[in-house]
Amino acid sequence: MNPLIPTPDVLPAPWGWFQGFLMLTLPLHLLAMNAMVGTAALSLLARLKGDAAHARLAHELAKLLPILVAVTVNLGLAPLLFVQVLYGHLLYTSSVLMAVHWLSVPLILLVAYYATYLYDFRFEALGRWGAVPVGLAFVSFMFIAFLFTANMTLMLEPSRWSAWFNQRGGTLLDTGNPMFWARYVHNVVGAVAVGGLFVAVFGRLRAGRDPEVGDLAVRLGLKVFRSLTMGQVLVGFWYLLSLPAPVMKLFMGGSPAATGLLAAGLLLAMLVLAAGSRVALCAGLTAVLVVVMVFMRDVVRVACLSPVFTPASLKVAPQYPPLVLFVVSLAGGIALVAWMVLQALKVPTSK
Amino acid sequence: MNYPTWFRPGMGGGMMIAIIAIIHVFISHFAVGGGLYLVMAERKGLREGDPGILAFTRRHAKFFLLMTMVAGGMTGVAIWFVISLVQPAATSLLIHVFVFGWAIEWVFFLVEVVALFVYFYTFGRMEDRTHLAIGWIYFGAAWLSLFLINGIIDFMLDPGAWVADGNFGSGFFNPLFWPSLAFRTAVAGLLAGVYAFLTTAFLEEGPTRRTMTRFSGQWVLGAYAAALATGAWYFLRLPAPARALVAGGSPTIHRALQAGLWGLVGVAVLALVFTLARPGLHSRPVAFLVFLSAFVFMGAFEWTREAARRPYVINGVMYSNGILKADVARLDSEGILGSARWTAVKAADENNLLEAGRELFMLECYACHTLHGFNNDLAFRTRNLTYPAMLGYLKTIHEKRPFMPPFVGNEAEARALSAFIVKGIHGRELPAGPAPGGKGRALFEENCTACHDEALVKTRTAGWARTRIRTALDHLGSLNPGMTDYEGTAQEKDMLADHIFGLQGGAR
Repeated sequence: MNPLIPTPDVLPAPWGWFQGFLMLTLPLHLLAMNAMVGTAALSLLARLKGDAAHARLAHELAKLLPILVAVTVNLGLAPLLFVQVLYGHLLYTSSVLMAVHWLSVPLILLVAYYATYLYDFRFEALGRWGAVPVGLAFVSFMFIAFLFTANMTLMLEPSRWSAWFNQRGGTLLDTGNPMFWARYVHNVVGAVAVGGLFVAVFGRLRAGRDPEVGDLAVRLGLKVFRSLTMGQVLVGFWYLLSLPAPVMKLFMGGSPAATGLLAAGLLLAMLVLAAGSRVALCAGLTAVLVVVMVFMRDVVRVACLSPVFTPASLKVAPQYPPLVLFVVSLAGGIALVAWMVLQALKVPTSK
Repeated sequence: MNYPTWFRPGMGGGMMIAIIAIIHVFISHFAVGGGLYLVMAERKGLREGDPGILAFTRRHAKFFLLMTMVAGGMTGVAIWFVISLVQPAATSLLIHVFVFGWAIEWVFFLVEVVALFVYFYTFGRMEDRTHLAIGWIYFGAAWLSLFLINGIIDFMLDPGAWVADGNFGSGFFNPLFWPSLAFRTAVAGLLAGVYAFLTTAFLEEGPTRRTMTRFSGQWVLGAYAAALATGAWYFLRLPAPARALVAGGSPTIHRALQAGLWGLVGVAVLALVFTLARPGLHSRPVAFLVFLSAFVFMGAFEWTREAARRPYVINGVMYSNGILKADVARLDSEGILGSARWTAVKAADENNLLEAGRELFMLECYACHTLHGFNNDLAFRTRNLTYPAMLGYLKTIHEKRPFMPPFVGNEAEARALSAFIVKGIHGRELPAGPAPGGKGRALFEENCTACHDEALVKTRTAGWARTRIRTALDHLGSLNPGMTDYEGTAQEKDMLADHIFGLQGGAR
């Protein structure tokens, strides 16, 4: 047992509840985050092109961007909460080790978020200079992904934590971990790819109102999605090979569940690539693929930590009324959100 | 001691929490009150059929969106990040006890986000009743967010029956829950008006500007009266030690409250004169002055609330340095270094005093004290202490300064921490024998020099007779509410009085 691992606190419900909530909310956050990253990337590309159709597409995407940032942040809070309940003693530790970098996440996000509003509200006035704020936002998103990857990898490796004794100021950035770079590239390539698909879906929905922009969004979005997804298969293998040997072997037949997930992921990737320009089919398959990836990610976490920790070992002092209240609130909240979105969709685009 | 320390001795973590938290509460209370303000302003515009008021409301909604959703939301995330870096043990406890409270708060935040976007982006294009309903939904969700956070924040100041029963409801509906909720609701209303002054100040001169400035002034002064009444209720419900600190027992709280009081006076005078009595005189400088005054008030309140639970981060449960109260007796006998996970030295002895002392500083002092930093600098506060005085002071620190946690650890660790402070920080050699100057001087160093050196005491007692000094030692609290009474024996007081009188050149 690693003596540096803190003693965890007691759970108010069996760990499976939190695992369930985590696996439910993390894919939603990732889908929103992918949409945000892809929208920023494609809006930037479109803004850099000179013609009017690209400019209109860039503007339409600019309007979406602040909303996507808000939704991504909100949907990120839930998995961040549930992961802290199950793995907080590990995550707080890795966060402290890289505290300076970790605390910069919300501050960078603040700047990026305002940049997206500047880009949207001043789109016409900025002209092609609009590439600066949206470019800043995109680079910020990439850097935040870098820091998240660094922390989520460091929390899995207590054996590397002793670096703190020589570096107590919270400046550790453990990029020397063999799986770090593959994991980071895997995350961001996947995000831009799925984000491209989101833009294609947006284009298909928008085609009725502005066929030129709609078709352009579908064409550009699918091109980015397909090319990066093909690349992602290779990056995925790089990531697989970078995993610690015992973890990698789980996906190579060592564990039927892990191997099945890998096979399902590959199959879905092939199906998505074969789906051509059928945007709705691609989107449906990709949503399932993201869920599969989240499960694979969890297998990696559990396997990396298995020598030192498993959530099933956490002590429990159950108190169910707050849990019930949360489930009821969630149902009520979803109903309210659905009603408000329906009301918004009824509103004519101009009056 | 369960977690590593983010160790930046020149800066300290507490100040970072304070800066982010003060900015956040100043915006987040606006996010609640401002939601109601938007609905009421829109309703006023609709009822009076005044397109100017509706245009103002839309403009204010844009400002509201940019301020609360971006700066408010991101500073809220930043608080979560920074507390987990500076106080990981306390954060973990709060997350585990109240996980479903946080989860419900997330749901309300989601509703807020969607409602605010729908409200802003459909303004003037949605059917009026539905649009107002969306505004009400926003406000309801925002207030319920406050309801939830309020329970968890005040748990830290008074966990109530939770300490005994560990029940979610006991901790959430703690003794401070209702007065705090009422006070924060009133403050949210006040800030709604204060922020609206900014928007009205940027309107062109005309009837809409005057109408909405006066409307906003009514919000400020109405909420102001409610905040005074509920603030008094809140104060009276504070646990006795916290009330004593707020009432003058803590010099830092005293300073914060003075600033807060000026902020409150500023808000009242400016709002009364420039917005209600003479709204025509309202201007951008006035709006910014009101804004600044309200910020000072909010900052003082937040600082006071945080500081009032000292020496605890969770009152009666966990000290500010993350040590559980329940562990103190064990750590005193076993030693803290052997139990701490994140320390390079596992036991203190005469050969590693400075190394062990530095680790102990990090574990026990650093949560509140910087080293040569601008906030609560330990080097400055201990500049007059000799080694014996430091050692004696450490052992009774909690009695002398009740807002500080007790020193936790064994005798060797107390010596190590004292040695680190005296030699490691100040470069003074450790004495081999007893201190010069006799018992009176030793008592002075042990009991007085942590706050004032001999020169200051000499100045303050200039011209005093020996009997006056001796009498004062029986009633130190009446000289200054920040001073604790000296608990020494009559004989020790006599010796101490002799020493102080001797500073004037009088016979001992």
